[in-house]
Amino acid sequence: MRTRSNNYIMLIIILVFLAVFLVWPMAYVFKRSFIDNKGFTLFYFGSLLSDPLQLEAIRTSLIIALLVTLVSLVIASPIAWIVARRSFPAKALISGLILLPMILPPFVGALGMKMIFARCGALSTLLMNLNLIDHPVDWLGTYPLFGVILLEALHLYPVLYLNLVASFANIDPSLEESAANLGATPWHVFRRIVLPLSMPGIFAGTILVFIWSFTELGTPLVFGLRRVLPVMIYDSVSEVGTNPAGYAQVVLLLLVAAAGFWISKRLTRSGNNISTLGRLSVSREEKKMSPGTILAVYLFIGFVICLSILPHISVLMVASSKRWFLSVLPENFTVEFFRRAVGSEMTQTALFNSLSLSLCASIIDLLAGFTIAWLCVRRRIAGSALLDTLSMLPLAVPGLIIAFGYMGCFSGLFHDHLTFLNPRVNPMVLLAVSYAIRRLPYMVRAAHSGLEQTSTVYEEAAANLGASPFRVVLRVTFPLIAANLLAGGILCFAFSMLEVSDSLILAQSDKFYPITKAIYALMDSLENGVNVASALGAWGMALLAAALLWASCLLGKRLGQMFRIS
Amino acid sequence: MKDSSSSIEIREVSKKFGRVTALDKVSFSVKPGELFFVLGPSGCGKTTILRILAGLETPDSGEIFFHGKNIASLPPYRRGAPMVFQNYALWPHLSVYDNIAFGLVERKVPKKEIRTRTEETLRRVGMENLSTRMPGQLSGGQQQRVVLARALVLNPDIMLLDEPLSNLDAKLRGEMRDEIEKLHRETSITFIYVTHDQTEALSLADRLVVMQNGKISAIGTPFELYHRPANKFCADFLGEANLLPGRISGKNGELLIVETSLGSWLAVNSVNSKFAEGTLVECLIRPENIRPYHPGRDTNKFEAVVRSIRLNGSTVTAVLQAGGITLMATLLNEYAVNLKIGKTTQWYVAPENMVAIAEA
Repeated sequence: MRTRSNNYIMLIIILVFLAVFLVWPMAYVFKRSFIDNKGFTLFYFGSLLSDPLQLEAIRTSLIIALLVTLVSLVIASPIAWIVARRSFPAKALISGLILLPMILPPFVGALGMKMIFARCGALSTLLMNLNLIDHPVDWLGTYPLFGVILLEALHLYPVLYLNLVASFANIDPSLEESAANLGATPWHVFRRIVLPLSMPGIFAGTILVFIWSFTELGTPLVFGLRRVLPVMIYDSVSEVGTNPAGYAQVVLLLLVAAAGFWISKRLTRSGNNISTLGRLSVSREEKKMSPGTILAVYLFIGFVICLSILPHISVLMVASSKRWFLSVLPENFTVEFFRRAVGSEMTQTALFNSLSLSLCASIIDLLAGFTIAWLCVRRRIAGSALLDTLSMLPLAVPGLIIAFGYMGCFSGLFHDHLTFLNPRVNPMVLLAVSYAIRRLPYMVRAAHSGLEQTSTVYEEAAANLGASPFRVVLRVTFPLIAANLLAGGILCFAFSMLEVSDSLILAQSDKFYPITKAIYALMDSLENGVNVASALGAWGMALLAAALLWASCLLGKRLGQMFRIS
Repeated sequence: MKDSSSSIEIREVSKKFGRVTALDKVSFSVKPGELFFVLGPSGCGKTTILRILAGLETPDSGEIFFHGKNIASLPPYRRGAPMVFQNYALWPHLSVYDNIAFGLVERKVPKKEIRTRTEETLRRVGMENLSTRMPGQLSGGQQQRVVLARALVLNPDIMLLDEPLSNLDAKLRGEMRDEIEKLHRETSITFIYVTHDQTEALSLADRLVVMQNGKISAIGTPFELYHRPANKFCADFLGEANLLPGRISGKNGELLIVETSLGSWLAVNSVNSKFAEGTLVECLIRPENIRPYHPGRDTNKFEAVVRSIRLNGSTVTAVLQAGGITLMATLLNEYAVNLKIGKTTQWYVAPENMVAIAEA
């Protein structure tokens, strides 16, 4: 009985934490956009939907999100099909490389992309050298959305790819064989069996990509797009206490995200019913391909990967060169900017802030994530379903919304009490918490898979030999799934390091800047600001790469499972 | 060259998976309308035969004929040999009705006809009230009926069954067995039925082939293979077997004289085998063929000590010790009342129930 009540105490602590830092901010944003001091009103929402500027922003954001989703589908579908159903040399290596773009922050990549597509940048110069155009073109000025869409699609397609591969691979081969056996041609087998059965996974991935690109703040900000919803929200943060218009914008964002999340949850639930039928009868034999097809596959995947890392390579070039103007490749190489990027007080503080915030966030996630997974998998107590849903919610709730909610909820709320929670006084606690909340799903999932792969007999044996429930967890459960937990923790750390929207919104004064906000601040500074910003971005990417390499060594193939919604 | 009186013929079919040989030059033919069993332990290659017939696996070598036509190059969807999958493979996103109509849709049958044929088949398998259900809402037995219906609706000449009863509980298994027997009686479909369950095969088959390690061990009717198996594997696999080693010492009319440690016994040849004098053989005696001695039965008589007695229900199994040899005898209860553990009793075996088979 006592262990029972201990379980509930843990459940309640975590539910309270999630309620205060996840649910309340969202609810607060809702309240502020619909209720003012005179009671319920649709005024702010109405003015949002009648202001031509706002409508333009909404429209542009939707266009970006739709096109990003479409481009991601075009990139991810063929690759996913081939990886799931065909065998080819070096498949393991290549399927790892396909994921690489996901970890490269588009916010940093945008810096490099701008240099390539600038009026006197690499692309114009290259095309002029080839005599294809006769005067420099300002690509981003002429096609302002092009860069954002390309960069986000190249960043997000792996999310879709992971969902697609899983859907294609998880179909029981006998379902396709029986269709062929009863007369369906390969194309009909795909259309009548494979496609409908994969739909939950396809939708889940598509919706995730749509939500993420609809709410992406960093990329349009770097490209200087002001008339998109996330950037408008960012701009209204300064008046967050006084003007409820910003709340209405956030609510709109939230509604789109919630609708998407709800749809994909529903679809994956029906998908679960589907997959529980029967057991996998025969193992799937991956078909071989002709050398010509293999070459085509290599070329396509190679092209996609090169295109995705091109912006980040150019960031390195910007960071290491004094002059990249009217030339294809940069000139005058130097290490000066790398030195300056870690040399000033502002950047040193930023690096220190990011490191310590990410570390705190990882520890919070480790404790919360393990407890949540343990309560859900091992105890299955009442309320654990709610816990599971809540802890997965941040996958679909954009950071922008959480950060904006924090600004509203916690600033000025406590007067002179609890000032450590006031983002205008000191945002560090809220930054760490927001980082933690955003990455909690990865941690829960890592612990979840660890617990599900570990038989309960070890724990039962320990209990049988006299260990109390807490001692069982400490001495048996924890060590058994340590690799999963560590890998999940490293992922949390890595993604927190280059987190954009929370950092940009919550960190208002430079002594609290994390790396990303420092990069953003440096961009606009005089005297090679872009170069120093790029160099700082490069340092960040190096830290990220090191952390992820470590995580993938620990987690191996299971790294991919973290990014699926189902 | 071609034997068009057979419905299915496979010739010298071999298949390897990596370094494992699944089938090694397997040949047999099946007559039209036959309920033909492929029986063997797991891993013997029996499912591979079925998958090759369905076109789901390509043989490394050999030929396959349906009605005298070589179909080795036809893709699965043009074979016209519907299969009942072991795990059912019902499409979870389609209703019972749509699952059954699937093959008709693929064959571009007119909509009205699809409707009538599907409904007729639903009635035939007793599922007419469940046509809108999804497969996930059905019990195991109901799923099995849908799988059968999905194949039957196509009015096939040939049907392939892969362990169709293995996922059902004992009672349902009996019902489905009757169902399949009825289908066999009422239609002219040629069935190839794969199973590892010898009672299923013995009770249902017109003919069967016993497989061992990718090769054919024996082929024949259930009666032949049970009572006159050609080899030890077959004798063992089809039921309980006592094996008594001996040497052929001569002939007595149609019967063989075999010198065994229990004396000079009379035996019959197994199918298709002729043993020369002096050959070492093993003699198969089914436990139910060892009977308590009664006067007048003076050949193949022996004395044995009863070591243990086990009640099976309608029968009793006694373990007998005769010299260095242990034999199992299965008796009806009424013959077992006088048995006592440790008591020496007299027994006999009728010569036609003593089958000489090759030693190795």
